[in-house]
Amino acid sequence: MTDLLRIDHLSVFYGAAAQAVEDVSFSVPGNAVVALLGANGAGKSSIMKAVAGLIPGRGAITFDGARIDGTTTRARVARGIVYVPEGRAVVGDLTVRENLVLGGYTVPGPARRSRMEMVLDLFPEIAGKANGGAWRLSGGEQQMLAIGRGLMAGPRLLLLDEPSLGLAPLLVRRVFDRLATIRAESGLAILLVEQNLAMTMRLADEIHFLRGGRLIGHKRTDELRDGAARQHAVDTFLGAAAAE
Amino acid sequence: MNAVLDSLAFDLFPLVWSGIVTGCLYALGALGLVMIFKCSRVVNFSHGNVAGFAAFLVYGFTSGLLLAVSWGVAVLLAAVFIVAIAFLTYALISPLIQTSDLTATIATLGVGLIVQGATLLLFGADIVSLDLPVPRFATSVLGLRITGYDLTVLSVAVVTIGALFLVIDFTKLGIAFRAISSNAFAAEVCGLNLARVQVFAWSVAAGLGVIGALLIVPTTFLSATTVAAFMLQAFAAAVIGGFASLPGSLIGGILIGILMNLFTFYVSPEYASTFLLVVILAALNVFPNGILAPVRGSRV
Ligand SMILES: Nc1ncnc2c1ncn2[C@@H]1O[C@H](COP(=O)(O)OP(=O)(O)O)[C@@H](O)[C@H]1O
Ligand SMILES: [Mg+2]
Repeated sequence: MTDLLRIDHLSVFYGAAAQAVEDVSFSVPGNAVVALLGANGAGKSSIMKAVAGLIPGRGAITFDGARIDGTTTRARVARGIVYVPEGRAVVGDLTVRENLVLGGYTVPGPARRSRMEMVLDLFPEIAGKANGGAWRLSGGEQQMLAIGRGLMAGPRLLLLDEPSLGLAPLLVRRVFDRLATIRAESGLAILLVEQNLAMTMRLADEIHFLRGGRLIGHKRTDELRDGAARQHAVDTFLGAAAAE
Repeated sequence: MNAVLDSLAFDLFPLVWSGIVTGCLYALGALGLVMIFKCSRVVNFSHGNVAGFAAFLVYGFTSGLLLAVSWGVAVLLAAVFIVAIAFLTYALISPLIQTSDLTATIATLGVGLIVQGATLLLFGADIVSLDLPVPRFATSVLGLRITGYDLTVLSVAVVTIGALFLVIDFTKLGIAFRAISSNAFAAEVCGLNLARVQVFAWSVAAGLGVIGALLIVPTTFLSATTVAAFMLQAFAAAVIGGFASLPGSLIGGILIGILMNLFTFYVSPEYASTFLLVVILAALNVFPNGILAPVRGSRV
């Protein structure tokens, strides 16, 4: 399988001295779900934002065979790389439907409308509130809207930044199940950022562990099915805090 | 008792009526200021000088000073210049916004001074008059004198503001404008071209300013500073609206129009500027977030 996304020696700096990501390399094969796991401040969001073109990074980012580092976020969205931010960044002043239009802003009208139908079918929780203000949505519904808005652009690679943040476990399971459905139906690849191993394993094919801006380990999900192996990975890569 | 009624009929109603008419023009100015502030976080202090320059251009194009074309053609030509100026101002300001909103705001003062200098250079410091090509008629409704000018101002304001609200409320561009205004990061994540939406806002704002200037000038005269002075009341109108609400600045404009008229007539025309300042300060204290702040779900 060829890689849809390749990241080679990516470093991200905030100012001259503060380095958030250090020499990170990994790839996301087509139709795969790859997860980045690490504690707060490990540099997960920084990697995602660099891939989305929202912040500059040093190193090479290759998407579908072409170098994309240095291009704008807009160009990357057009190529099919869509970031679903941590904290959702739903526009509360817009209606749910308007948020979805925003996600498919450059998509031609008819395609946008049919995609909106698809998204509202996928998330019936927000379909009933489509014409109301997005600020009325609960946290889980906002997360669905954020993912739906990402899907409106017709992405080939979805960058999902902590979709489970602040959601009840039951709701997280529901969101992840929907993501599994989308993935099976559309051949979408996902780069997933999470802090929780058990949740991540529901969706991911492989997991990279991140600490202090560096990749410190890599496991395929099937290597972690066994309880002892999983505990070992938690102890080695995540520390006690992430052990649930 | 009768004297009170008489004074109501003969003074108050006409004052309120003409206040509403002028207030619509303040609102046009305020809407432009607020549009720019909402999407670029900058108070555009060049707004009045640029609109004044446009009025002078129309004067220059119709009077034979620069050209001698019809009023309509002159307005179109001036509009082209003004949109170009809006574009240049945005190009100059937008890199500064990245550094600091305050720096960018101060830079608009500079742009205003340059435009005012250009006005003085091209047209001199003289006072000129610039009328509107509207039919001169006046009619009396319930004792209220209504002129062709009044009706022109009201219909232009209603059509312009109505069209603006329709665009902002119901078009894709309007969604983009509102998204950038309330969450620029979200708009960027969605792949929007922020600069294009901002240029749209700056151009529309400049256009609204020009319409306001052309409509206000017939009631006074045109000099290098009149329109800038007019924009002070537009500024007050925007403040009453909280500087972030388009309907708020419409209401603010009409309020300012009426209040200024009443103050000038009943108290003193000399202290009108002082009164305006007091209104601004009072508004900032009484409703710092604008007169419509408690109304959630206001969309524009
Ligand atoms: N805008 C910023 N300016 C300065 N430092 C930042 C900024 N964003 C993140 N950082 C720092 O970079 C590091 C990585 O942050 P982040 O990528 O958000 O981590 P994570 O998403 O894994 O929690 C942290 O030390 C954080 O404090
Ligand atoms: Mg993060």
